[in-house]
Amino acid sequence: MIPRYQRILFWSLVGCILLMGAFLLHGCREAHKRLTALNDATPIAAPTTAATEEVSLYIASDADATIKPTRSQVALPQDPSLRARALLEYLLVQYSLPDSAHPLQSGQAVDDVFFLADASHPNQGKEITVNLHGSFADNHPSGIEVEQLTLDSMIGTLHAAFPEFAEVRFLVDGQSRATLAGHSSLDHTYLLRDTAMHPMVPSEAATQP
Amino acid sequence: MPKETPFVSAPGTSPDTIETTLPKPVTQIRNQILMFAITLLLGGACSIVAQETPRVPQAPPVGAALPQPAPPPKPPPAFYRNLIVLDPAHGGRDNGAQLSSSAVEKDVTLALVQKLRPALVAQGFTVAATRDSDPPDELTTDQRAGTANHVRPLACIVVHASSAGSGIRIISSSLAETDAKASSGRAVTWSKAQVPVIAMSLRLANETGLALDAAQLPVLLLRASVPPIDNLICPAIAIELGPLKTEAGKATLPSDPGYQQRVATAVAAGLASFRTHNAPPPISTPGVGARPGVTQ
Repeated sequence: MIPRYQRILFWSLVGCILLMGAFLLHGCREAHKRLTALNDATPIAAPTTAATEEVSLYIASDADATIKPTRSQVALPQDPSLRARALLEYLLVQYSLPDSAHPLQSGQAVDDVFFLADASHPNQGKEITVNLHGSFADNHPSGIEVEQLTLDSMIGTLHAAFPEFAEVRFLVDGQSRATLAGHSSLDHTYLLRDTAMHPMVPSEAATQP
Repeated sequence: MPKETPFVSAPGTSPDTIETTLPKPVTQIRNQILMFAITLLLGGACSIVAQETPRVPQAPPVGAALPQPAPPPKPPPAFYRNLIVLDPAHGGRDNGAQLSSSAVEKDVTLALVQKLRPALVAQGFTVAATRDSDPPDELTTDQRAGTANHVRPLACIVVHASSAGSGIRIISSSLAETDAKASSGRAVTWSKAQVPVIAMSLRLANETGLALDAAQLPVLLLRASVPPIDNLICPAIAIELGPLKTEAGKATLPSDPGYQQRVATAVAAGLASFRTHNAPPPISTPGVGARPGVTQ
């Protein structure tokens, strides 16, 4: 025969366990809601509904320090700002593929792209501002060649897609930053130009002044 | 009893007789005041005339030796043809790139500069470095550019290292050469200080590249915007040391001392060749001082 006080204690403990379980479940659900709310919910026009089009991507290679233009079929939104962002994201995704010749870490790289135009000179002085994620810059490989290739790759791709714009400026988390990853300068604007290049090799002809 | 009026002319007397009516001590005091005032006036007038009159050079006394004109102060040269500034990049809290599990960029750049220094001295150069050790505080790129610009060297070599790519990259400023013609004769901005010497920097990169090529080291010439190169007023290049990959798949890391020594010897030879082609020794003429814009 179990004493009465032990039965009361047992059922009290069972009740506490159930209450604690319910409290834990509730806490987990709340935490999940908070983490979900922190995710980037910036709306991007769904590229799946848009028709694919041919774009030029300027693909870099670390081995020979070249940038070669390639044609690719991509579905892009029509809004210029979203279009530029999607284009740059697509370009940088190529570098996170396993067989990339210019390997970069995967993940979101471009936060926003803004198009700035000088009202007094509508046909000149147009600038694109690319706001990069801080995580992209912090995890970018460090080195003059590798950083400059990333910048030139983005510059050439933007120039091919938006030839009416003259300059591009890069920000990191909305702030001006001295260098991308310790080497290539980010604190000035770059001219938008065709950055396809083959590095020069030294020659005797260029020796004399 | 009549009232005394010693300072007022008496009735019926002329004013000329007033003097005679004044007491003697008062007259003396008045005369002294007048003399003092006249002296002051004359002194002031003389000093004004002396200031306004142009000074006429005094002829030397006859028989005295003519003084020799003082030699003009020696103007600073455009650059010192035997001086090289080395800048091992990063340092302090800034480690630079992580090249391997045990090597960071700031140590590799310093090690290469320590090998480059004796190699340059052997070629007859004087070497200055922006840092000779790992400083506790980080040197900014503006401080490095200021150090190099202050001593006016023949060239400035910025040393970097990377784990990406293969071989050695020689980087010149990406500033456009067309800016040099537009800015000739005008002050250049800090961010474009390299523009007037961009052509020499390209020749320096080529000469150094040729020397590395002759040493059987793979080399490519690039252009990029890398601080502090754009802020330097002397011919400047950045040398980025990458892994040396062989066809067999083996890689020599930039931290390898033998690899660094080969690079240092080749770069020193390239700089000596650059000096020969671009800064020949000045022809010394007795009695003629140095002029601005010449090398020393």
